[in-house]
Amino acid sequence: MKIHLKYPTLLVLFVMLVISSWGFVQPKERTESIKDTSKTYGDKNRTASEKPMPIYGNWISYDSKNGLPGDKAYCVKIDGDRVLVGTHEGLAVLENGNWKTYTTEDGLAHNGILAIDVDPLTGDVWLGTMGGLSRWSTGKFENYTQMNSGMPNDLIYAVTCDGKDVWVATGGGAGCYNTYTRKWEIFTEENAPMHEPWTYGVCASNDKIYIAAWGGGIIEYTKKTKKFRDYVDPDGNMEIDLFPDDGVVHDITTGASWSNGILWVATYFGLSRYDGVHWKGYFDHDSGLASNFINYIKAKDDIAFICTDQGLSTTDGENWITYTTNENSKNGKTILLNGADKKELATSPSLAHNFTIGVDVEGDRIWVATSKGVSRGQLMK
Amino acid sequence: MIRRNDCVIETIFLLLVLFCTTLNGQEKKTMYGNTSEEMFPYHKFQKAYKYHFIEPVQFYGAGREKQPPKDLTEVRIGFLGPLEGSPIVSLGQQMLNGSKLAIEQANDQGGYNNLPFKLMVHNDVGLWGAAANEVVRMDEEKVWAWLGSIDDIVSHVALRATLKMEIMMVNTGDPDPTFTETNIPWVIRVIGDDRQSGYALASYIFDTMKHDRVAVIRSNERYGRVGIMEYSGVAVRKGHPMRIEERFNMGETDFTMQLENIKKINPDAILIWGNAKESALILKQIRSMGMKQPVYASDRTVSQEFLEIAGDAAEGLVSTCPYNPEADNPKLKGFQKAYTQRFGMQPDVFAAHAFDGMNLIIKAIKKEGLNRVLIRDVLTDLKTFQGYEGVTGKIILDGSWNDIGKIFMAKVKNGKFEYSPVPNQVPEGQGNKGQHGGQ
Repeated sequence: MKIHLKYPTLLVLFVMLVISSWGFVQPKERTESIKDTSKTYGDKNRTASEKPMPIYGNWISYDSKNGLPGDKAYCVKIDGDRVLVGTHEGLAVLENGNWKTYTTEDGLAHNGILAIDVDPLTGDVWLGTMGGLSRWSTGKFENYTQMNSGMPNDLIYAVTCDGKDVWVATGGGAGCYNTYTRKWEIFTEENAPMHEPWTYGVCASNDKIYIAAWGGGIIEYTKKTKKFRDYVDPDGNMEIDLFPDDGVVHDITTGASWSNGILWVATYFGLSRYDGVHWKGYFDHDSGLASNFINYIKAKDDIAFICTDQGLSTTDGENWITYTTNENSKNGKTILLNGADKKELATSPSLAHNFTIGVDVEGDRIWVATSKGVSRGQLMK
Repeated sequence: MIRRNDCVIETIFLLLVLFCTTLNGQEKKTMYGNTSEEMFPYHKFQKAYKYHFIEPVQFYGAGREKQPPKDLTEVRIGFLGPLEGSPIVSLGQQMLNGSKLAIEQANDQGGYNNLPFKLMVHNDVGLWGAAANEVVRMDEEKVWAWLGSIDDIVSHVALRATLKMEIMMVNTGDPDPTFTETNIPWVIRVIGDDRQSGYALASYIFDTMKHDRVAVIRSNERYGRVGIMEYSGVAVRKGHPMRIEERFNMGETDFTMQLENIKKINPDAILIWGNAKESALILKQIRSMGMKQPVYASDRTVSQEFLEIAGDAAEGLVSTCPYNPEADNPKLKGFQKAYTQRFGMQPDVFAAHAFDGMNLIIKAIKKEGLNRVLIRDVLTDLKTFQGYEGVTGKIILDGSWNDIGKIFMAKVKNGKFEYSPVPNQVPEGQGNKGQHGGQ
């Protein structure tokens, strides 16, 4: 009789052992699973993760000593042959090797410029400032504020041109300005699935707009149907991420960028990648991400350029390159992480500063806005 | 023999099970929110993959090398609060008074290197997201740090703006737990939040008073929605989920519909979460409807306004208070005397905490000089001012720079609030030390 009882007891204990082990997801297991969702390139046997990551170097930096009106650069945009840099003290434009600064005296809404986008249809430059939205067209600035145009708030964190529309993200809601009708449409918790109207990032895909909503995760807006849906961290708690790949890593989102079918989401708690079906989370302890504190993100082709407070990281979702600098010298390092293989390359000179706030990439050029100047890098052969 | 072997095998399995539950465990202790193991989300079911707020986020940006202008004639400190056009103007005025008193006392002692401190006052109510625009104005005014505000909506919007402007924010009035759960290294909060209040109320209601079926009526805006969250989470974890959650709007005066719904389920106790005025009216109406249950409330009821409106109905109400205004603390007595002399009224909780918060800003400026980043560094280092003895008691910040110092129970007896320690409170500085698994 006792022998008959022994096996059920062991079975119960064994089942308990298996169940108790289940919840604890190991980083290694997660890394293997992402391969299933990787994009396939023209060469069918080659995945995005196997395509070589671009490496940038030969950094040249500019600050208040050699061209910028101030040291702190919030954003940068490559516009053909010229480069636009938003600083705390005005808009700096590099053209034909010379810097020129534009301020409120020239007509800007405010000297603090946090976001820049260029309308590919018209060539107009749209500047999100601390005191309104400025449109720079044919050499003149036209300003939009809460008082004169019904914009959601004067402090603009992000601006994105999408066809005839210009989208802005503000602490008072997201706004869509129709350049044809010259009217604003405002999106807040009243008419979109946000807890509050605090929006800090906006980007466009072919058929959708993605809004990074503080405390509300990502708000997806389908242009054709004008319908919203939201993506939040399913665990519902601010102090933890219960499961790493179950949704956006945190509800406090700070930016979003879409490219080649992938949405990348920045937070101050880590990075998220969404391929339309699966979410994947990245933290500094389980990936090559320089830091969980992400100021800004820009996706270009298959690569995400991630501006963190401890360097610039780039990734294709699997491989990582991080650019950092040494505060005490002009040297820095480039850290390459390919699976378990980690390599460090010395760079001299390096990025202007580790605290990276903005980035733009075009062709073989990369520009990075930092806490202490802006840096230009070249694609290394 | 067979029984003995069974025991050995079972013990081995049990040890294996216990080992597996800590396999991926992190050794570092969380520094967060005075949250005991029992109160941590999902603690009974699942270790989290990632725990936040284990280490305070540092600020790695530039700016520490910046020298102050040489032509300064005053040292500007910003203030943001509800001063007009808001239902909580009375709280904002007290917060402003507390700040003013700290500034005036500092100036009486020579200011900063003989430069007077000057308060740059901003109202936080206005066009949508007005707080963001006000922080921009403070940046233009070149304030070195600023204090504010009370309303969650204002504080959150201002926090994101202050990160961009890189101006240190000291909050002394917003109880929203999520406010410091943002990982932004440019803010400290020196007042207990609704997490502490929720934990204390839940412990008192379920452990001390042994209630089981509790009904909740809360304000239908962010203060009520977010404020009740921590209480609600703990109530569930203690096995006593809310039996009903009714809502009311600010300015509402008739709560018959909500209270009829509550009356129908005959709860053991009722918890009100709202501002003083509406809470007092609800309490009066509860009693006028013949409901005799014990009533508990959020800490905004701990005010003269509440006692005056509620009258006799207030008797027996239990709430929490972020400090003990009757503590035998010479600093507090001195502050109360000076405040009453200066403003002709008794200081409330917002005045006392603003006085402490503004003094921290002044001390940080005196210690580090006129550099925004260095002022931030010293206020957030969790060393220099950790355990600072203010008029509200000892200020202890956790890893998210949230005040986890002592709070108190407040019970109305003979028409006034009496204060007592919170039941089962984790000893100061030893809270939030639960070990959690995952990374």
